[in-house]
Amino acid sequence: MEKTGGKGLEGLNLSVSPEQAARFHPLMQEGFLVRAEIGCTIKTLLCDQFGVSPDYLETRVQTVFLNGKPVDDVDSAAVPAGATLALSAAMPGLVGATLRRGGYYAAMRSDITYRKEDIHTTKGKGLVRIKLFNLLGPELAPTFLARGIWLRSSRLQEFLSRLPDEFWTRCRAIHLDGTAITAAALRRVIWPDSVEPVRLSVTLAE
Amino acid sequence: MDKILRIDMGAEGGPKVTTAPLGEYAGLGGRAFTSAVVSKEVPPLCHPLGADNKLVIAPGLLSGTAAAMSGRLSVGCKSPLTGGIKEANAGGQASQVLARLGYAAVILEGKPKGDVLYKVLINKDGVKVIPDNSLCMLGNYDLVDKMKTEYGDKITCISIGPAGEMKLPNSSVAITDMELRPTRHAGRGGVGAVMGAKGVKVMVLDDTGMKMRQPKDPEKFKDANKRFVDGLRKHPVTGEGLPAYGTNVLTNIINEAGAYPTKNFMWGRFDTCHKISGETQAETEKARGGVETHGCHRGCVIRCSGIYMNKDGHYLTKQPEYETVWAFGGHCHIDDLDAIAMLDRLCDDYGLDTIETGVTIGVAMEAGLAKFGDAQAAINLVKEVGKGTPLGRILGSGAAIAGKVFGVERVPVVKNQALPAYDPRGVQGIGVTYATTPMGADHTAGYAIATNILKVGGFVDPLKPQGQIELSRNLQIATAAVDSTGMCLFIAFALLDQPDTFQALLDIINAFYGLALTADGVTELGKKVLKMERDFNARAGFTKEQDRLPEFFKKESLPPHNITFMVKDEELDSLFNW
Repeated sequence: MEKTGGKGLEGLNLSVSPEQAARFHPLMQEGFLVRAEIGCTIKTLLCDQFGVSPDYLETRVQTVFLNGKPVDDVDSAAVPAGATLALSAAMPGLVGATLRRGGYYAAMRSDITYRKEDIHTTKGKGLVRIKLFNLLGPELAPTFLARGIWLRSSRLQEFLSRLPDEFWTRCRAIHLDGTAITAAALRRVIWPDSVEPVRLSVTLAE
Repeated sequence: MDKILRIDMGAEGGPKVTTAPLGEYAGLGGRAFTSAVVSKEVPPLCHPLGADNKLVIAPGLLSGTAAAMSGRLSVGCKSPLTGGIKEANAGGQASQVLARLGYAAVILEGKPKGDVLYKVLINKDGVKVIPDNSLCMLGNYDLVDKMKTEYGDKITCISIGPAGEMKLPNSSVAITDMELRPTRHAGRGGVGAVMGAKGVKVMVLDDTGMKMRQPKDPEKFKDANKRFVDGLRKHPVTGEGLPAYGTNVLTNIINEAGAYPTKNFMWGRFDTCHKISGETQAETEKARGGVETHGCHRGCVIRCSGIYMNKDGHYLTKQPEYETVWAFGGHCHIDDLDAIAMLDRLCDDYGLDTIETGVTIGVAMEAGLAKFGDAQAAINLVKEVGKGTPLGRILGSGAAIAGKVFGVERVPVVKNQALPAYDPRGVQGIGVTYATTPMGADHTAGYAIATNILKVGGFVDPLKPQGQIELSRNLQIATAAVDSTGMCLFIAFALLDQPDTFQALLDIINAFYGLALTADGVTELGKKVLKMERDFNARAGFTKEQDRLPEFFKKESLPPHNITFMVKDEELDSLFNW
């Protein structure tokens, strides 16, 4: 029997082994939504709400974009509702070095640099789009996937349909809105409207 | 590496080979060597394809030694594309092999009479120049296979494809990699056409029986090299990012910044760029049994390259670089990685620069020769170049000529050379370098990111917008110096953050040559090279009017940030006032 899925707060949860985690990396670079308290700084959002360690943010996350603008100071840049926050490790190339936060060559992109007055923020709950590029994808994926990410239902459906049979064979458990289902049943699920975000969470278990 | 090999291809009775000591060129390597020879010996007003032009092929100062990352080869001449001085460099095996054979440079001079095509054999026993018209119009892959059959698999080849034979202004010089494939190219500026004009199809190098070059102070050299390698390995860019994803790791980042030139520089973002990103490329290579971490020459510890297989798991090409993926990808609005890899393969085989070719195809798409995003049409257009049809010859002449022929206004070139993969409206500082470098639009002309350590031109506040001219100037000076060592420019990222790694590089040079070179000495070398190049261009007729970006960058704003290029002409003109 077909089931309507993804409307509940719990959405879809997959329990997989750590070796399967790489399957989710494409979603990291494309970007996903998270529900968060908005209006706070980038550092507060990442460290206090999502558990990214301050040391990791300081040393590893060398390139930060807020709505496409390179950010120099994660302690002061505030994240508004509907924002896109993209994170990357240090990058090669002169332009890679130029885009680095607080970098020596920041002047070379001063016309697109984030400035505080660029964005008006209010505090409250909202959705933020996160993109995790290059080394940060594999490193931060478990953190975000464990807490749950939101994808358009059409994207989630497409993503699930491209996972190979071998993935489903090795998948430990599948829960949809709190109810355990089989991979076969998941394929028959009727998802809500294509633009409606649906929660996906992933539990990594040996 | 104490002699120069000169081959006069136009000598009476056939090509004449001479070797001579270094003389006034002693102490120079790579770009410093090629630019010194071109500046001194080539009449600036000569025709680039004429007898008076020279093709200078020079290993770096440290090539042929045990120094890591020292395998870049410089190729210089008067450029058929820009009309000015040109140095294009590439990885591959040739720089190390040529240096071990003892040559600081090979200089092709004169012009042969008639249509004879030559191969040049260089080994420990000497040099032979042999006519071989059976090589006519062979692609680089078939050519190298033929040379392998004739001379064994210990060889290294420097060659041209059909584009070079046709003397097209966008033709490259190919250099074989560790697997003896012609995948590394001195691409920019049409250096392959000059080799074609000299009648040389291929140089076959064999260093069997030769030893690695030995330093004056072996212990200090070994210690400095170890510190240098450790520095590269511990840095997140050279030790992690580049090995894992290659240079194409930049696609997502530049796109996010809104500076990814899309659809012939109409937009700064390509919505489906994740399909061709470094992350996707690495995953694809891994899944198909390719290699996502691979060096382009022995002695490389960064290993930013890879091997790209087709859908059937067979070798297609080396891992396409960021610039290549962009030129055929975002620029032409193509998000098909396999098509881009095929275009890369075709360029390597025909002997074409991928940046110039991709930009030209984008200009042709704007002219209506094909639709943006039509990958098969792009492949067909590049195949026209390989076939040498009239259309192919126009496209093989580069973006500027194609733009004129097809009546396109938005043609992204400086000094007739196509812009690389960063929109100068998004990152204005790189626009300064594109505009002012003597080489024509070139992202690598201001790439050596060590100016903070070198303190070239004094301290510059990086957060002041007006610092862009100074930064570009300093970067160009530092780059000219690094290009002369034969070191891969990617070492620059470790040098930026780790002064001890920079010191290790100086110590390598000093231990090898018994010198006491300091950061100031490096800066002076860079300035000297730039002065020679600027002087050549001035004598060739270049004025400040050539140090400009195309007009549309000032008039058309770039989404999503909606900005134009705002650096004033007077500021550009002040760049070389040091």
